Amino acid sequence: MNGGTEMTETIDRRRLLTSAVVGSAALAGATALGSLAPEAAFAAGDQAVEPGAPDPNFAEGRITGISAGMLFVTGSDLALWRIRITGGTSIWKLRPTTFDQVTVGDGLYARGLRLPDGTLAADSVWVNIVNVHAHIAAIGRNVLHLDHKGKRIVGHLVPGTSAARYNNTPAVADMSLLRVGKHVQVIGAWVPDTNEVEIATVYAAA
Amino acid sequence: MISWIAPLQPLLLGLVLLWSARLKLLSPHAAAAAGRSALARLVGEGRALPAYRLVGGVEAALGLVLLAPPAVPAEALASAALSLGFAGYLAYARLAAPDSSCGCLSATRTPVRWRSFARTGGLLAASLLALPASASWFDVLRTRPLPAVALLLAEVAVLVALSPELDRHWLDPLRQLKVRLTRPLPAGGFEVPLDSTVEQLHRSPVWRETAALLTSDLREHWDDDEWRILIFTARHAGQEASAVYAVPRQRYQPAAVRVVLVDEPTGRVLLSLQSPPDAPEPDWVRASPATAAAY
Repeated sequence: MNGGTEMTETIDRRRLLTSAVVGSAALAGATALGSLAPEAAFAAGDQAVEPGAPDPNFAEGRITGISAGMLFVTGSDLALWRIRITGGTSIWKLRPTTFDQVTVGDGLYARGLRLPDGTLAADSVWVNIVNVHAHIAAIGRNVLHLDHKGKRIVGHLVPGTSAARYNNTPAVADMSLLRVGKHVQVIGAWVPDTNEVEIATVYAAA
Repeated sequence: MISWIAPLQPLLLGLVLLWSARLKLLSPHAAAAAGRSALARLVGEGRALPAYRLVGGVEAALGLVLLAPPAVPAEALASAALSLGFAGYLAYARLAAPDSSCGCLSATRTPVRWRSFARTGGLLAASLLALPASASWFDVLRTRPLPAVALLLAEVAVLVALSPELDRHWLDPLRQLKVRLTRPLPAGGFEVPLDSTVEQLHRSPVWRETAALLTSDLREHWDDDEWRILIFTARHAGQEASAVYAVPRQRYQPAAVRVVLVDEPTGRVLLSLQSPPDAPEPDWVRASPATAAAY
């Protein structure tokens, strides 16, 4: 398949889905179509997880191999995981992204459904995601130098993606209220095997 | 030259020791600082605070003796020994409890790094420099006030520069000043970040009704005129479908959020939902034309 056709298909699909949700005439009723009754919505029951047992539907670790639709992952407890990625799997790597952006060496958390063959059919995958509480030690061009318990972490701001939330108000692209010496919380994507992080959201007081 | 430099060192050492003792003996944060320091590891949690106070007492006593005339070499030797002891403590802290705080000059949490060692080395050097002192620092200050004050200020500046716990008083403001002048961070345009849209979605009535159906995190998003479209995977009636949310892009109006569940392979819409219209009164309160005519 060449890139042009793929692009056209993406645009067609997006146009279709957009018109499905915003194109319909405004209807007064809450549920215009379909039923939200629990018996209809949750027709397939959930798997029961034994209390205290490790959640079989969750995996974490570093990616050691990638093949068609499958991620091979070594957990921090050395457990080996095969994680199946489907069209319905959400993949986060600094932003919602696609399977081809995932590379060997990345770390991940995955949630999904454990299949009888031992693979985990992933519903959601978060690649390289980190959560850091730190102080801003210095600020450079699109860079926050963070002090995390005496260790330095370099936080890169990615224009167009990085957002700031001040005092828990809605996120904005304005980073200029960040101050040297102040405490921040950063959600971001770790750059594997470095002390660098690409910042998705920075939470700060202003 | 050394004849006037040496007598000034006891003044510097005395002031530094008194400053350090002030934290350990008088500060309300002394207990917390002791608990965070490597002393807790060295002598045990329960004995950390008494040990911390004891160090403070020794520092205060030596500081006062150094400040009080006459200058005798034994004072300088004691100060050198204390500096060596500090260096040993810092080495222990670095090796045995690398996450502990220094607890040296301030209750601020400061891990032991090279600057702490350099500062202790500086104090040791000053102690050794004080050994040949014969006159009192008071006499030197009186006879050569300008060079004496300049030297002391320079030495204090070096010690301050080597004290990580004092950074927030001079280094952080300097760096913030540089930020204010160079403005290295984007001030942001009118583009609404994705996070902001997702938060609006989370506050919408439609989300409250449909969030339980979702199995995945945000899969895909794009902008369409006044809407931002967010795609999740959902399970509805035992069938996997795409949950397509439309969220107002430039305005904050969670009640306007709508959703359809689409079975993507066939394009069939399984469920379509939007909030009831924004009306100040329920329908049945509004007077119908018939009742209005009766009056």
